[in-house]
Amino acid sequence: MAGIDVGGGHGGKRSLNQEIPLIPFIDFLLCLVSFLLITAVWSQMARINADARVPGPPKDEPQENVVKEKQLNVEMRGERYFKLIWKEGSTVVNTVDVERKPVMAGESVVRYPDLAKKIQEEWTANGSHRAASDKKLDQAVLHTDNTTMFQDIIAVIDAIYTPQREFDFGGGNVKQVPAFNVTFAVN
Amino acid sequence: MSANKALSRFHQPIAVPGRRLMHHLPLKFVQKKVIGGGGRAVNQEIPLIPFIDFLLCIVLFLLASFSASGELPIDKNVKLPTAENVLDMTDAPMVAITGTQILVDGMPAGTTRDIEESNRMQRIEGLFNILKNKRELWKQINPGKENPGVVVLQVDHRVQALVVKSVFQTAAFAGYPNVSFMVKRLGKAE
Repeated sequence: MAGIDVGGGHGGKRSLNQEIPLIPFIDFLLCLVSFLLITAVWSQMARINADARVPGPPKDEPQENVVKEKQLNVEMRGERYFKLIWKEGSTVVNTVDVERKPVMAGESVVRYPDLAKKIQEEWTANGSHRAASDKKLDQAVLHTDNTTMFQDIIAVIDAIYTPQREFDFGGGNVKQVPAFNVTFAVN
Repeated sequence: MSANKALSRFHQPIAVPGRRLMHHLPLKFVQKKVIGGGGRAVNQEIPLIPFIDFLLCIVLFLLASFSASGELPIDKNVKLPTAENVLDMTDAPMVAITGTQILVDGMPAGTTRDIEESNRMQRIEGLFNILKNKRELWKQINPGKENPGVVVLQVDHRVQALVVKSVFQTAAFAGYPNVSFMVKRLGKAE
């Protein structure tokens, strides 16, 4: 066991050596570790991003300077179908209907695997920004009616974030990121 | 003759060697050690010092990540939805929408009743003022830096889109156009 040996103790004198009581110290540390492990809060919280598209006054930038990029509009207005509409500015390029088949996994877990699969296919066919060096992401705009429940909105945003692509953050740091940037249309 | 004499020292009788070395010593334990009769020691030293170092590292790590009040201030009335493709949480103002109340970092900032009764999207004045003040305060604390304009919405899974849109719009008007929805992390499906 650990001790402090300072020599001496000869000639009838009291020994100066001391034993450090390590066992109680280890017991204390083990108790502390157990307490901290039991009371630890392992967070499962995360966030899902969405920009706001808010109606407002027109911007100063002239309209002709704005580059019209293809963007995916996801409409969840009907009860039975999602509409995936590729638009270039106000021009509709392509429209696809996807049946609205929610998969429930618990009270607050709603998922749309069919929608996620279709969005993946659509991005593979029509996505504009694919190269890892491309710093822009394809744009998706989500339109909902006012009665849609929040859990459905999150499920659809989650489905839009399903397609992933490589993104070069510089210095050889290439990571997988969602292929789309989601905007939530407030109008 | 002389050659035979020189070789005579090689012609010694063969005899079994006996215990000779230090045989005269009266101490028994020295004799034992010398003749090799002590055997291997059975006692073992447990290396306690590295073990204590390891325990101390664990304690320090757990203490550093310890939170007495829980990880994040989640309102008890809010049941969050679940998502798979998520990002880690960020430090930003937290807007909670419970059944009828809207809270900013735990402080009341308005109700959803007006929105539900009028059944149309509208700006929530209390929320707008609090968020605008927060933005001004952030600018004073971080002069010369650009505000990221991120706000985290903690919304119950049953809240209607109309309320979410109103809060979303109010946050955007107050200078927070980048909204993050707080969700529970769902394991990735392979």
